[in-house]
Amino acid sequence: MRLTALDEAAEAIGLKKNQGVAEARAICPMLDVIEEDLGADRRLLDGIADWCDRYTPLVALDGRDGLFLDITGCAHLFGGEKELLKDILSRLFQMGIDARGAISPAPGLSWATSRFGSGGVIADEEVEHVLSPLPVAALRLQEETVAALQKLGLKQVGDLLLAPRAPLARRFGAHLLLRLDQALGRNEEPVSPRRAVASLSAERRLTDPIQSEEDILYLTGQIALSLKASLEERGAGGRAFELVLFRVDGRVFRIAAGASQPLRDPKRIAALFSERLQAVHDDLDAGYGFEILRLNVMRYEAFDAAQEDFDGDRQKDVCLASFVDRVSARLGADCLQSFQLHESHVPERAVTAAPAIRTLSSGKKPEASGFSWSRSERPLRLFIRPESVEVSLAEVPEGPPESFRWRRMLHRISRSQGPERLGMEWWIDGADARARDYFRVEDDTGHRFWIFREGLYGQMPPPRWFMHGVFA
Amino acid sequence: MDWSTVMAQTPMAREQLFALREEIARLEGKPVPALAAARQEALAERGGAGKQKHRLPLGVTVVDEALDGGLPLDGLSEIRAQCLRDATASAGFALALSALIQKQAADDPAPILWITDRVTSMETGVPYALGLKDFGLDPKRFLHAAPRKLDEALWLAETAMESGAFAVTLLEVKGNPAHFGLTESRRLSLRAKAAGRPLFLMRQSGEEEASSAVLRFLVEPAPAAIRLLPDRSMLGGSIGNPVFRLTLEKSRNSAPLSLLLEWNPHDRQFFPTREPERAWSPLKRAAHSGPRLPASANRPDRSQEMGSVLAFDQAS
Repeated sequence: MRLTALDEAAEAIGLKKNQGVAEARAICPMLDVIEEDLGADRRLLDGIADWCDRYTPLVALDGRDGLFLDITGCAHLFGGEKELLKDILSRLFQMGIDARGAISPAPGLSWATSRFGSGGVIADEEVEHVLSPLPVAALRLQEETVAALQKLGLKQVGDLLLAPRAPLARRFGAHLLLRLDQALGRNEEPVSPRRAVASLSAERRLTDPIQSEEDILYLTGQIALSLKASLEERGAGGRAFELVLFRVDGRVFRIAAGASQPLRDPKRIAALFSERLQAVHDDLDAGYGFEILRLNVMRYEAFDAAQEDFDGDRQKDVCLASFVDRVSARLGADCLQSFQLHESHVPERAVTAAPAIRTLSSGKKPEASGFSWSRSERPLRLFIRPESVEVSLAEVPEGPPESFRWRRMLHRISRSQGPERLGMEWWIDGADARARDYFRVEDDTGHRFWIFREGLYGQMPPPRWFMHGVFA
Repeated sequence: MDWSTVMAQTPMAREQLFALREEIARLEGKPVPALAAARQEALAERGGAGKQKHRLPLGVTVVDEALDGGLPLDGLSEIRAQCLRDATASAGFALALSALIQKQAADDPAPILWITDRVTSMETGVPYALGLKDFGLDPKRFLHAAPRKLDEALWLAETAMESGAFAVTLLEVKGNPAHFGLTESRRLSLRAKAAGRPLFLMRQSGEEEASSAVLRFLVEPAPAAIRLLPDRSMLGGSIGNPVFRLTLEKSRNSAPLSLLLEWNPHDRQFFPTREPERAWSPLKRAAHSGPRLPASANRPDRSQEMGSVLAFDQAS
């Protein structure tokens, strides 16, 4: 067992990373060793990254203990880069997190100065000056490379800057020069954000945190109102929204809601979240309140503006759409379904259910070719999985059964209609899938069923009977 | 006690009492007490045309007379099935009524919402679009909601009523759940009345229960109609239009009514049918046309007198 991380007190004693626990205990018998929990570390880092969303939407994780924030165009909102860095570090310090940070033109340089240098804000022209005195390990190199460089006496980045590039590349590979260029900002290094970046976003910062649902909804409406202009500019309406709530103590809640039609109306956007808040009510712990509310439009689509008052149909569409939105927000998108017809003769494939929230707006496109083929009547309700039925007597070779036992009830068949033979789809089910012979049968109490026989009598394996649906 | 104050209060109290009674009667849709009858008449004169519109005649004289001109379209009607086996019959009747409503308002594109019950769906299957189409409904104007719990279903029904976007809302409930009592049905009924849209409550395998539904039907399955050939003979080996045995259990004028109704999905129309004579069945045709003994209710399997020969008896 080895030490992987140390707190300040341990560092002061002189313990080092990678030291054996036994050795460390010999130095300091009172040592309190806690087993490393990578998952918990990761969760903490994720939590901090979520919290950092307040500064910029582009937050990326870096290894086990670092975060990259792309603050392009964000610094002025916080009174400049210096103020921004000070704000982040002091807030993190107040939360009990010892963090170091740097703002520089290149992610590589920020990484180097925050870990090996003094951090702070580095301007474009002082890049080389800052980088030169740092050890070569600050270039994010592999350990072997660092060791080899040190053996050659190239201990500082400045030594590498002075050395000719070609021999370096020949000896240590192109990777060293790539890292060097990235640190110098000569080579663009993209930062890949953890979350999809919102298409549009607006937020409200509060000096006095809010807790109640009504306040959250009211503010959501207000923020939606400020988004309306940008949506109008694009001629668009939002389909997927996300409400981000920053709690005072640093926890971040994200609540997503979808709309069945492009939305622009602040009232309807707030109504979406009203249902959503009802649904997540137990998970949303307001604690001491929320200090920042942000409304993101994750996806938007073209909004066809229409005269609302003169056209009655349109109003009805809006009613239906808002109903679908409310239900989907509260009970989940799968709760409300519409039917999609497909060109298949296998009964369970001919119809699929799709969430209404997705199909409602695409209803305008022309329907698939109006295929029709002669078929017998289909049942009103269909079993998702056909249920096995015991048949003791049936007309051979391909007649209906005389009676059958289903769910321990004996049904005597008084009338039947069929068979309707449906071959399975060989391109899906394989060539040896057995055909089904469907019968509409009525028992002597007037119940009507749809049963089928899979396979034929006289073949092996023997045919089996199934119940597939119930008629009215 | 000072009697004079009581005397002074009494007329006031009585007036209040009458007002409350009138209010209750109005909510329940019952004939109002004599005191308010005159006002009600005046109201009826004004809204007479509108009132007629809010009823759906089924096209069968007996039923329409029993229902005062048809099914009320702005309220809660209950359609009950005795047991879960009959659930499809009651659902079928409710869907037939919905198809009738859609037929009457052909220019109204409002869809139908069917809120199914989880257990009933497991026991009797999920709604099948092609079957709905064959039943006279348009699958494109049909939404199916599958809530997990009863309170979600109730919320859905209430929201659907509130939105007014649906031509018909069908709410399926299994049994007589404790969470769905008089209060909840009153809420739904008021919502339906406010929206002016019908709400059909399908109570599958439930007992009769006091509710604020204007009507309650009991639906049981009945042998399907026969298909007739042009020469009025029967088409063998076929099952015709569905038939429901309908019993009006609760209505404003409490005349008992029980009859067989045939639903024609193609024309979207109800027809009254007579009690079926089973003699036409090729399987069960008796050798002589004597009266048959009534079958006992819970009989065991009875041997068939005649039928298709499946296997000959052993010769020995």
